[in-house]
Amino acid sequence: MGVKKNQVLVPDHAFVPKHEIVSKEDAEKVLKKFNCKPTELPLIFVTDPAILGLGVKPGDLIKITRKSPTAGESLYYRYVVEV
Amino acid sequence: MSIQTIKSIDGIRFSIWSPTEVRKYSVAEITAPETYDEDGMPVQGGLMDGRLGTLEPGQKCLTCGNTVARCPGHFGHIELAEPVLHIAFIDNIHKLLQSTCRSCARLKVPQEDLDEFKKIKEKQAAYTIISQKRIPEQIIEKAKKAKTCPHCGKAQYELIFTKPTIFVEKTEIGEHRLLPITIREMFSQILDEDLKLLAYDPVTARPEWFILQALPVAPVTVRPSIILETGIRSEDDLTHKMVDIIRVNQRLKESKEAGTPPLIVQDLVDLLQYHTTTYFDNEVSGIPQAHHRSGRPLKTLTQRLKGKEGRFRGSLSGKRVDFSSRTVISPDPNLDLSEVGVPEAVAMKLTIPEIITEWNIKRMKDLVINGPDTFPGVNYIVRPDGVKIRLDFVEDRSTIAETLEIGYLVERHLADGDIVMFNRQPSLHQMSIMAHYVRVLPGKTFRLHPSVCPPYNADFDGDEMNLHVPQSEEARAEAILLMRVQDQLISPRYGGPIIGALRDFVTGAYLLTKDDTVLTIQEFSNLAMLGSYAGQLPKPGTKVDGTPVYTGKQLFSLFLPKDFNYVITSKWSKGTKGAEKDVVIKNGELISGVIDKSSIGAEEPESVLHRIAKDYGNDIGKKFLNSILIMVKQFITHYGFSYGYSDLEVPEKDRQKISDDLAQSYDVVFDFISQHKNGTLKLTRGMKPEEALEVNIVNELGQARDKAGSTADQSFDHTNAGRIMATTGARGSALNIGQMAGALGQQSRRGNRLIEGYSNRALPHYKEKDNSPDAHGFVKSNYRDGLSALEFFFHAMGGREGLVDTAVRTQQSGYMQRRLINALEHIRLEYDGTVRDPHGHIIQFLYGEDGIDVAKSDHGEAFNVNRLIESQTIIDSGKKATKDEINDFTKKYTKTFNPRLTRLVTENLLESKLSRNGVEAVCKKGLLLYNKAKVEPGQAVGIITAQSIGEPGTQMTLRTFHFAGIKERNVTLGLPRLIELVDARKKPVTPAMDIYLEDDGKQSREKAVEIARNVLQTKVSALLAHVDTDYATSIRFALSPQRLSDRGCTVKDVEEALQPNKKFKVTTTDTLVTLNLEGEPDAQTVIAIRNKALNVTVKGVPDIERITLLKENDQWVIQTTGSNIAKVLEVEGIDKNNLKTNNVFEIASTLGIEAARNALISELNATLEDQGLEVDSRYIMLVSDLMCSRGYMQQIGRHGIAGTKDSVLARAAFEITVPTIAHAALAGEVEKLKGITENVIVGNNIPIGSGTVDLYMQVSKKR
Repeated sequence: MGVKKNQVLVPDHAFVPKHEIVSKEDAEKVLKKFNCKPTELPLIFVTDPAILGLGVKPGDLIKITRKSPTAGESLYYRYVVEV
Repeated sequence: MSIQTIKSIDGIRFSIWSPTEVRKYSVAEITAPETYDEDGMPVQGGLMDGRLGTLEPGQKCLTCGNTVARCPGHFGHIELAEPVLHIAFIDNIHKLLQSTCRSCARLKVPQEDLDEFKKIKEKQAAYTIISQKRIPEQIIEKAKKAKTCPHCGKAQYELIFTKPTIFVEKTEIGEHRLLPITIREMFSQILDEDLKLLAYDPVTARPEWFILQALPVAPVTVRPSIILETGIRSEDDLTHKMVDIIRVNQRLKESKEAGTPPLIVQDLVDLLQYHTTTYFDNEVSGIPQAHHRSGRPLKTLTQRLKGKEGRFRGSLSGKRVDFSSRTVISPDPNLDLSEVGVPEAVAMKLTIPEIITEWNIKRMKDLVINGPDTFPGVNYIVRPDGVKIRLDFVEDRSTIAETLEIGYLVERHLADGDIVMFNRQPSLHQMSIMAHYVRVLPGKTFRLHPSVCPPYNADFDGDEMNLHVPQSEEARAEAILLMRVQDQLISPRYGGPIIGALRDFVTGAYLLTKDDTVLTIQEFSNLAMLGSYAGQLPKPGTKVDGTPVYTGKQLFSLFLPKDFNYVITSKWSKGTKGAEKDVVIKNGELISGVIDKSSIGAEEPESVLHRIAKDYGNDIGKKFLNSILIMVKQFITHYGFSYGYSDLEVPEKDRQKISDDLAQSYDVVFDFISQHKNGTLKLTRGMKPEEALEVNIVNELGQARDKAGSTADQSFDHTNAGRIMATTGARGSALNIGQMAGALGQQSRRGNRLIEGYSNRALPHYKEKDNSPDAHGFVKSNYRDGLSALEFFFHAMGGREGLVDTAVRTQQSGYMQRRLINALEHIRLEYDGTVRDPHGHIIQFLYGEDGIDVAKSDHGEAFNVNRLIESQTIIDSGKKATKDEINDFTKKYTKTFNPRLTRLVTENLLESKLSRNGVEAVCKKGLLLYNKAKVEPGQAVGIITAQSIGEPGTQMTLRTFHFAGIKERNVTLGLPRLIELVDARKKPVTPAMDIYLEDDGKQSREKAVEIARNVLQTKVSALLAHVDTDYATSIRFALSPQRLSDRGCTVKDVEEALQPNKKFKVTTTDTLVTLNLEGEPDAQTVIAIRNKALNVTVKGVPDIERITLLKENDQWVIQTTGSNIAKVLEVEGIDKNNLKTNNVFEIASTLGIEAARNALISELNATLEDQGLEVDSRYIMLVSDLMCSRGYMQQIGRHGIAGTKDSVLARAAFEITVPTIAHAALAGEVEKLKGITENVIVGNNIPIGSGTVDLYMQVSKKR
């Protein structure tokens, strides 16, 4: 799961949706909205190539804007964890 | 009234018994190897000691005083003379020995590191959940390597583990065996803190308890002895094994006391170890199995628990039930779709409890008088005081009938109108169990309507089905509300109808509705009545010879809703190349076209039937189908429709044409063969001459078959029964007709002609290397005329493949389905719309990303906007609404819609000609339908997902290595590919990439070729003309200039690529590369060096084995065999953003988990689509989201989702039963009973679907 050295990052690849860091306040709101603990969210590793350039640390929340065949666009959240 | 306290299980903690606990729970020490004495009495202190529980009825337990029914049995114990290792924990013992110091028993990891790990563990930060789980393996990995202990500094020795139970230490003085007793001593010194780091729970499981000093003896109730007919007692396998243990234990104890030489004592200890090992597990590798006297291996503890027939899967997850029956099924088209015909004999055995009330007492009295042997009757009466009267033994039933009072309970026979559940295995999807209404009939088989065969996948060649009778009002209500046939018309897999007209019903519908069918008034009214039409008769639509008659279309129209409008192209019209959109229904009147499979057929989305069921509700849909089917059945019965030998008679002229055409094709083939011999055969790029020849022959013969088939097919007119069936979609195809009347065509095995079986020939009847069509399985005869002996044999060869394929496929897809179900069974929809597992882990934030239930959807959409607009247009009047008006309405009504649906609604409305009011009506109706189509909380979305992906697996072809795009690349497809994807394999069997190019590469071929050269892996071996090896001094590679230029390499490239290898010096002269070997290696090393050098990559990307350039949508695309996305991304000139690979795992590591999820979705979609199987994308998304929900790709199976479930019982019930439980014990895991399997095991209601609902009461506070 680790990242290899000199890896080419392709953040604009057709398969990679938009990843954004959610601010602390907004993260609280998300947790409240879904009434859950951070560990109950889907996870993403800090080393994930899609978020490498964003300067994330473990404990952050990532908002992902997916293209959806059913809804056009949909939101997904992932909680950043250590490897 | 007495209040019964119901105890329920909150949780189950797993732990290991310490020797003290074993002794504490023991009621007797077992010392005697005998079981019973001469009088047949249990021996005191023997294995059948009375204190261990009771077996015979009437006997009282010496410990608890209860009789058989209530005594749970009690444990005893054996004091072992020497400690032995517990086989279930042997891996843990091994790991602990490796990672702890032999003298101070600390973990052989520096204290600082341990503190570091401890900190991570104690921090309990949310973001360490994954890293925490890896601590034990990291510690063990580190500790294993330590040569000296970082704590006490003592030297550590190498440990040799000989499976299954021997540990030997390699010290300076020599090899030294670690005996269980020493191991126990060492383990008892390990600190609790260290153990915690290794994820042990020292309170419930100290490692020294892995070594047995006292062996628990299971209660006799666990191992009952049985008495054979001969009167001889036969003991359970466990008892036999225990006897062995006691005997050896006794001998060991005696010899130790007698001071026997240690060597002999050691032998006895080993024997004791062997017996205890096999007592726990009789399938340990490395030691012989313990056998019964008869030679049958003993079934000991592990064998009892594991496997399909084991305790977990056989007795706990799957239980046998009462009130059920099974028999052969047969068809009955006179039944209602939702009925099942039950034989009287069965109805008299299955009962329904009915409480006597004021309203049914009279009926019940009559039933009681009928008794158990007359239908309809009663088998039992239960009085309110709980006394059950069996009516078999009652002499005078009329007196007992008089004693019946309100409040009595009567178990009456099954009768017409009762609801029952009907099932056919394998139960692959929810429609495999449906609720039917009972119809008691004479005969011995269950009868069902032929049209409900598709959901059950049933036929009548001897299939048996099961029937279950729900016993409580709640169960019946649930069955009626959720499970009736009419509620299952729409398959949740694709949101279309799965039930519909089949076979002769379709033919009948065609015959009825074709243009020239007319019915007299008598016929018309008879059929209308049969279809339970209750309205007025319409006016006859046409006249024949002056008499007014009805058309068949009129009859069909009677049953259509009066405001129904619809247009479709019939299958018949497509087949006969007739008009498009020929079926027109206007205001419930069939104006033109014929009704066939595409209008009322099963598994036909968007059909008339689908529309009616969707727009008017399931009940009306069912009623419509029922009426049409029964009517059409009657019509075709009277019409007379058959198909036979004479219907396949081809006119002489056409027969001649068929044989002429075949002869011509043969000539073409022979021509190809001679061209091949001369070397003039036109070659296709990338194929060897032999391959090209084969492809040409196969193509030509394929065409020959088609031509013969269509000639035969064309020779029949449109009244030919076979053609009618094929064109209406009732049964068979033009291909089938062609094979019956034209020519059978090429027989194949694994997609190839039957090439070899004997040396250079398929059968010994042909000459070697004969390449004629006949010699390799081309059958030019047809079924009607019959096959020649050789043709028949070839046909059987091809036919066998089909059989083998089916057998293998059912197994593979069955296992895939089991894994899918196991991984997804506990996933449900919560009240907040999220999809979660029972522990609260979110899988999706909104089900299917739009919250729509596929089963309630309209072919995947929340509602069909076009249809809404269409039907509104017909009744609409007034001037067209303005753009602003439409936008206002959509804004108002589509607030809750998702972006795509809003856009869809708005766009369609803008295109329509609707008035203001019309637009509002459509929006309103749309909103209503949208809200109706939403998923309900508690819905078992996981199970439906698993079924929707697993069920089509059975229909997939097994091994289609199919040429994608170009003939050079083959890609795994079908079931193997599907399995590969849900397995989350590191590397697919056939990795492949599609590389799109940037700017100039798109258009210019030269540029594309250059990039392709940089992608294709070029090894030294690919550039050689020849190799010359001097085994003493040098290896000489002569490079081929042709190949160098082909691959775009220079001699220098090769030289540079070889330079880094230190085993030789490279010198080049012209195109000759010489490797001057260093030192004086022997021949073997030289060969090794040469092979290594040949494999050196000169240019391109490793693993890219083959490439093909092709033009797609007017731009050049490089297709590769082999995949290496990370390295290909570094190549210049490629379009990085559109790079594709079928290796999902690779995507996860180079593009991230979200990209992997998208890739997985697109691969799953492509695989299913390729097989023509429709699965809604919501299911594919859910599986993919689940597999990617933990930040890495998790497999659907024991190493992934099913293996990381929180529930011990669920994991144990899936696979690897015993190790799972052992691990749960040492980690002190607690089973919280939140999932499905766990609750089935302990006998609770399952927390999913209607089981999610609970009733809570708030006790009001007193003021």
